[in-house]
Parts: sequence; structure tokens; C-alpha cells
Amino acid sequence: MLRFLLLAATCAASPALAHTGSVIGGFAGGLSHPLFGPDHVAAMVAVGLWGAFLGPPAIYILPVVFPLVMAFGGVLGILGAPLPGVEIGIAVSAAVLGMVVALAARPPLWVAGVLVGAFAIFHGHAHGAELPPGADALVYSAGFVIATGCLHLCGIAFGLLARWPMGRIAVRTAGGAIAIAGLMFLGRLA
Amino acid sequence: MKAIVGILFAAAFTIIAEPALAHPPPLGIPSFFGGLLHLLYVTAHVMAVFALGLLIGQQADWGRMALGAAIIALLAGLGVLTLGVVPRGADLAVLVLAMASGALVAAARALPEWVGGVLAAATGLAVALDSPPEVVSVSEANRMLIGTGLGGAILLVLAVESGRQFRLGGRLVAGRILGSWIAASAILALALRLVG
Repeated sequence: MLRFLLLAATCAASPALAHTGSVIGGFAGGLSHPLFGPDHVAAMVAVGLWGAFLGPPAIYILPVVFPLVMAFGGVLGILGAPLPGVEIGIAVSAAVLGMVVALAARPPLWVAGVLVGAFAIFHGHAHGAELPPGADALVYSAGFVIATGCLHLCGIAFGLLARWPMGRIAVRTAGGAIAIAGLMFLGRLA
Repeated sequence: MKAIVGILFAAAFTIIAEPALAHPPPLGIPSFFGGLLHLLYVTAHVMAVFALGLLIGQQADWGRMALGAAIIALLAGLGVLTLGVVPRGADLAVLVLAMASGALVAAARALPEWVGGVLAAATGLAVALDSPPEVVSVSEANRMLIGTGLGGAILLVLAVESGRQFRLGGRLVAGRILGSWIAASAILALALRLVG
């Protein structure tokens, strides 16, 4: 019932026009920013899927740690600190994270944390470098942090299906699809 | 699970929000009520106060010192504004404090109460000093400041209660996720402000 209501509310979504001012620079701009990058979306959902697959405490730690590490990467991007292969890193993140879900990999928590944290820096750097300097900084940042967090939560919500045998197959299949998408993103960059 | 569903619901209903056109611009509201709503329309203030409230509510061993310190500092800061003093840098201080409180909420570690007292006093003072009334008349400004003090205290108490409910209801992780979002947003906003 809750999932049905959630789906209905999400399907009924309309643009968040309550925040006036520049659509590019305001909350709506920040909220939509990660959603228009399919490589970002795929990787973020994969983070949530993997967290759910690994179970506690990963399911709680990953969505708490990721935004903070991503913000660190964002600061590097804002400061103009060079980070080679950002776009490749993002595409690789989708491919690798999708693959670990598809293969049902269960490494130690610190390995998962380091892997996801490293990818978070690439995602944060890309976002940070693209942040419009004239925008209402906090509102824009809050928008895209919330959007990123919601993508994680969507992945976690779907990943919770792994409690059931058929659900495990569905989650691993989704991971495989994300891995293939990641490889396609990589192919485009080559 | 309940925490995740709760956050997803909150996010979904936030996204489907329609424009709030029934009310005129908040800063156009004169006098006491303008002050009462003032903090709600400054994102950094809401984040700083909400993160502080979550932190206070999250700490099971803390008494009322932190809450009291925040309210006293808020009122003291507003009192300073009545003297016509408008210090610079309060807006950056609010962001730094929002980041600190958010990060501590995300970490969810037991902290000594004096840490909360210091953080609360600093947040109350910074928020107050960043809330100079945008009116010409002195009496109007004073009424607005009284409203700001009351609004800030109400917002803080509500945030503390939210943090307490997260803790008691077994939804600590929901508070931690919100804390990490606030800290991450504040970090990025600080970087943008310092660079721009």
C-alpha cells in the first residue's frame, strides 16, 4: 500500500514552481541537475541497490556518507582543482556498481565504503564544476543534494525486494542493466 | 524501512508542491508577523536551526542547557540589532554552523553537553545577527525583531522535538540522512560563496 502511494505521488509530480526566481539557478535547477545526467542517475540508483543488497549497516551508512564525500568532490570542482577523467570515472562508477549488484558481491564494509566514496568524488567534482556561480548557492546545492539522496533512496527501496527470491533476481537484473548502461556511457566517451 | 519510506514520502510530496501563491512575499509582511515568518524564508537559517534542533533532540543525555543557550543567544543577538549594529560575516557563520551541526547529526555520536551549549549559543547568535529588519521605522523594527525571536524559538523547539521523535521512534537513520544532506548543502554553498 505504501509503495503504491509512493508510486502514485511520484507519478503525479509536477515542476516545483513554488520557488520563484531563476529556474536554472534555484531549487528546481539544483533538483533537476542530477536527474538530467543518465550516467549520474544510473550510478546513484546502483549505490542504493548495493546498499540494500548488503543490508545493515551498509544500507544506512552509504546514503549518509555519500552526500558528504560528494560535497568534498564538489568543493574541488568549485575551486577548479583538476581531476583527470571525471566523465570516465562517472561512467565507470555506473558500470562497476551495476556489476557488483549483478554479481551479488559482498565485500567488507570498508571496501564498499572506499569504492563508493571514490566514485562520489567524481560525481561531486562534475556537479561542483557545473554549479552556476550566480545562483542562490545554498538553495541550488540543497536541490541537487536532495535529488541525489532521493535517487539513493529509490535504489534502496527497489533493493529491498532482495528479501524475496524473485526480488533478488529482479535486483540483480537491474544491476546488470545498469552495468550495461555504464559500459555504453564508456563507449560513447571512447 | 519505515524511515526510508517516510523520507521518500516527504521528498515526493515536496516535489509535487504547487506554487504557494496565496501569500504575499514574506518580507512584504509588515511588523510582528513579518518577523515571525522571517527565519522560514531564509534557507540558511532554517537549515542551521533545524540541524541544531535535530542534534539536541538526538542526544539522549543532554538536558535543556543547549536549547536554553540557543534561545538566550538568539534574544541577545536580536537585542544587539536594536542598537543599530549590523555585523558582517554573520551569513557565513550561519552556513558554517549549519554544516557543523549537520555533520554531527550525521555522525550520531554521543557528545558532551557543553559542545551542544557552545554550538547552540553560536547558532542562536549568528542567526539573530543575520536577521536585521528591513524596515525604516524603529518601532516597526522592534516589533519585527520580537516576532523573529518568537519565530526562531518556536522553530527550534519544533526541530528539537523532531530530533527526539527520530530517536525515540527508532528512526535515527532518517535524522542522520537529513543531517548529511544539510551538511553537504552547506559545504557546497560555502565553497560557492567563498569562490564567488
